[in-house]
Formats: sequence, structure tokens, C-alpha cells
Amino acid sequence: MPVVAAFLVPGSPLPRLKPDNIPWGRIAAGYQRAGRAMAAAHPDVILMYSTQWLAVLDELWLTRPRLTGLHVDDNWYDYGDLPFDIHVDTELAHACVAATRRIGVNSRGVNFDGFPVDTGCIVANGFLNPDGSIPVVMAANNVYHSAETTEQLGRLAAQLADEQGKRVAVVGVGGLSGSILREEIDIRSDRIASHDDDRWNRQILDAIERADVNGLRKEVPEFAKTARADFGFKHFHWILGALQGKFYGARTHAYGPVYGSGAAVVEFTI
Amino acid sequence: MAQGQILAGYLAPHPPHLVYGENPPQNEARSEGGWEQLRWAYERARKTLDELKPDVLLVHSPHWITQLGHHMLGVRNLRGKSVDPIFPNLFRYNFDLTVDVELAEACCQEARDAGLVAKMMRNPNFRVDYGTITTLHLIRPQWDIPIVGFSANNTPYYLNTKEGLHEMDVLGKATRRAIERTGRRAVMLASNTFSHWHFHEEPAIPEDMSQEHPARYEGYKWDMRMIELLRKGHTREAFRLLPQFIDEAFAEVKSGAFTWMFAAMGYPEIPGELHGYGTVIGTGNAVMEWNLVKAGLVADAPRAAMGA
Repeated sequence: MPVVAAFLVPGSPLPRLKPDNIPWGRIAAGYQRAGRAMAAAHPDVILMYSTQWLAVLDELWLTRPRLTGLHVDDNWYDYGDLPFDIHVDTELAHACVAATRRIGVNSRGVNFDGFPVDTGCIVANGFLNPDGSIPVVMAANNVYHSAETTEQLGRLAAQLADEQGKRVAVVGVGGLSGSILREEIDIRSDRIASHDDDRWNRQILDAIERADVNGLRKEVPEFAKTARADFGFKHFHWILGALQGKFYGARTHAYGPVYGSGAAVVEFTI
Repeated sequence: MAQGQILAGYLAPHPPHLVYGENPPQNEARSEGGWEQLRWAYERARKTLDELKPDVLLVHSPHWITQLGHHMLGVRNLRGKSVDPIFPNLFRYNFDLTVDVELAEACCQEARDAGLVAKMMRNPNFRVDYGTITTLHLIRPQWDIPIVGFSANNTPYYLNTKEGLHEMDVLGKATRRAIERTGRRAVMLASNTFSHWHFHEEPAIPEDMSQEHPARYEGYKWDMRMIELLRKGHTREAFRLLPQFIDEAFAEVKSGAFTWMFAAMGYPEIPGELHGYGTVIGTGNAVMEWNLVKAGLVADAPRAAMGA
């Protein structure tokens, strides 16, 4: 199997922009531990899928060799800017664009100066690949794709990397429970929006740590509905696809709130 | 300073395809045309807007989505390149716009006073969303009138349509008070498509109009029903049907701009002028105008007389 590391990480910019706020600093610290694990795995490429990169026509893949700039989040611009410098594995990205017809998905490459890379990809790449030395392949979240289709896309991308003889790290960027606090809060006392959301998040994380894939397949749809999981938790299915539906456990490096929604940094044992 | 007033409101949808079809110098992508009937509709709207000579254009866009409250652009000058994340092949637009910060701050304060969460966006590196830019280009390509840009809080989607549109009603009335207090002669722009069912694949030549038609007949019928009501000035009935329209036509007016604009104008029961209707990747787009000056609901006070 070409996959040498796998991570589920949050796309909120708050831990990146304000790690000195204790609740968000915990997430940032977890992210840093995951970053060290990423470096130790020595992948040739990171396969990244972010719930925040939305597509409605086709499946989109970044095919621009390098993207640099300064990103400002639509919501959290008060906390500062996010510089980015992303190197794309264009060989693999083009292979993905060409191959998805096999699974009934039409794909397009995106190779435009100034393309608005989403916050989630920038945050995840900044934490997990801080010097940008590992090329990435980034795939959009087509909002009409099901969990099953997303899983197929993850599987196909990992297979194509294998065909190119590449060691892969797979990263699913997105949140857990999706309810945010809708009033201004004292950010030092950020909390998960409800006890039910917190219970759901812990239940899902526990199932991931136990590698209960069958249980997760049953529970995730209800989790998605009841706890408003970020885009149906499709980023987990991306990972699951790349891992061919199999892993042996997981370590939660961090779990906590980002303005009420659930965020976790999880490293899979593969 | 005389009391400000709203001169008109325009339903001004934002398909980037219309900018692409026009080939303005600001847009990098080049086309062979396309979507002419909608672009000609905007040509007519541009003329009537020009006659109004407003001090400011206020635009509410569904593509600046905010989770925590309603946000307003609060930087005097914003410039950069806006690339549409969905249609980067069509829209890569170099923008340079001027914000009426004083009015934006007044809108923000009035919204807060009305009980809404509202924030000023002060980051000079902020990239303005393509919905705001597209609507503004289509209605006023000269970019010579200051603007106020509003985000779309996700309440209608996060909670429900009723609560979300209620917030937009409150925001619209707050916006009107801010306009009156600051003495502006203002035009409201609701950047919304009507029926929003769309195709899932793009034609090889995006501007090939032989491929363009309503994505669903149900959506088209709803659009015609709503337009007919609005053309007759049956505003109350149109708003009574709005939740059903949203549900059954997947209408983008759910995001709130349409309600915000009408609330600011006081839901006038006057005939809207349809400048044109057309589809873009199957979605229904109407360019419409409610001219409060022509309807005699506000005096056409020239700028000098307003003391603005």
C-alpha cells in the first residue's frame, strides 16, 4: 500500500491565526505533533481534500505547479492573514483529472494565477508541511458528491500515486460537529456548542481510535445529520478511500472547540 | 444635512458568465459572447441607474458567506484580482473599488442597535467575493460610484428560511435608517438569482448558447410566476409565496438579498420593471428595477440640494 501516513485535521484558521488563545492553542499543538509525524513518514506527496473548497460543476483538482500569496479568511479576517506557498504534484494531479471518468466523475484541472485556494487547505498545509517541501494534490469538495463517491475519489488518487511509485500521506481537512456559536464570545472560554455535539464528537473519535470501520459507516450518517457534521464528514471518507477502507487504530492529538464547532487532529495507524 | 433616501432597488444577479460574455478589459478570460439577452437587460438597467445619479450603491452578495453575524466592507479602497472558485476559467477580474465607509459604519451600527450581530471588515488585504464584483460590474462598469458591500450571514441555511429572512428584514430596515441618517441618495442591489437548479457539467464552449436553457421546467414556471407578480406590483403576494418559491425552485433569494432590499424600500406595491430574463447554466436570472422616484414615492432631490 502506498499510503504511509493519514490525518484528519480541522480547516478552521483560528488555531493557526491565534494559537495563544488556549482552546485554539491546544488544536495548534496537536497539529504540530501531527506535522512531526508527517515529516517522519517521508511521503512523496500529500493527497489533500478540504470541505471548504467547494465545487458544483465537475470535480476540481489543482494543477498549477506553485501557488503563493496571502489569504484572508472570509469570517476571521480580524485575526490576520495566512501566507501560503504550495507546491503541487502536477503529474499526479493530471493523472487524477484523466482517471476519474473510470468512476463516473468528470474532472477538471485548475491552473490559474490568483485562484482562491481555500482556508482549510492553507491551514492544513501550513501546519503539516510548514516548509512546503512535500508536493500536494488538492481535490475539491463537490457539494453534490456522496460519501461513497468521495471515498472512490480518495481510493483512485491513492492508486494512481501507487502507479507512479509514490509514497502517500492522505489528509482530510474538515471539522466534526458543525454548530458554531452565533454571538460574540470571550474566546478564552470557547466551548463545543452543545453537550450532544460533544458527545457525538467523542463517540466518533472513539470509533476511529478503535478502527471500527463498520460501526463508523453506520454511525456517520446519523452524526452528520444530528451534529451537523462538516459536509457530512466526507473528508473522513476521502481518507477511508485512500486507505482502502482499512486502518488499525488512531491517535487523537487534539480535540476541542473552534467557535463552538468540533475540531480534532487525528493520526491514523496504518 | 437633508435626510437620505433610497432612489431605487435592482434585482441584479451575479452569474460571472455575463462578465465573461462581455469581455471587459478587467477580465482576463476571453469569450465569443453569449447570454446576450441578459447582458442587454443589464445595458438597460445601466441607463436607468445613470439617470438616478446615486451617491452610493449598496450590494448584498450570497458569495461572501459569514457565520458570525452580518459583515460590511470597511476599507476605503479595495483592489486585487477576484478569481471565481467555481468558474475560474471564466472570471479572473481585476477590481479596484471605493467603499463608502461612513455609510457602512452607520449600517453596521443600526444593525447592532436592531439586535443583530454585525461587524466591520477592516482587513486591507481582504479579497472581495465574485458575487459583489460581478453585480457591481454589470450594473456600473465605470466603478465611479462608492459602494457598501454586505456579507450573507448563513442563518437561512443554518437555522431555517423563516428566521433567516426575518433577520434580513431587520437588516434591510436598519440599512434604510443608516441611509436616511447619513443623507445619502442610495440604490440597493440584490445580487440574487431566482430558480437555482443548474447543470452539473459545463459545455465545451461555455458560451455555446445552443446548450443554454432552464435546468428544470418547474424552476422556470416559478420564475415566471414571481416575475409576473412583481411586474404587477403585487409585492405582498410575492413575499407570501417567497418561502414556497425558495423550497420548490431552490431559489437563491433564500440567501436574503431580495428581502433585505425590499425591507429597506418598505415593500412598495409598485410594478417592477423587467429589464430582461435569461438562464445561465440553467439557473433563472431576472434583471428588475423598482424605481421609487418614478413611482413618486421619493422626491428626486438632486445631490446638491441634499447637502450630501
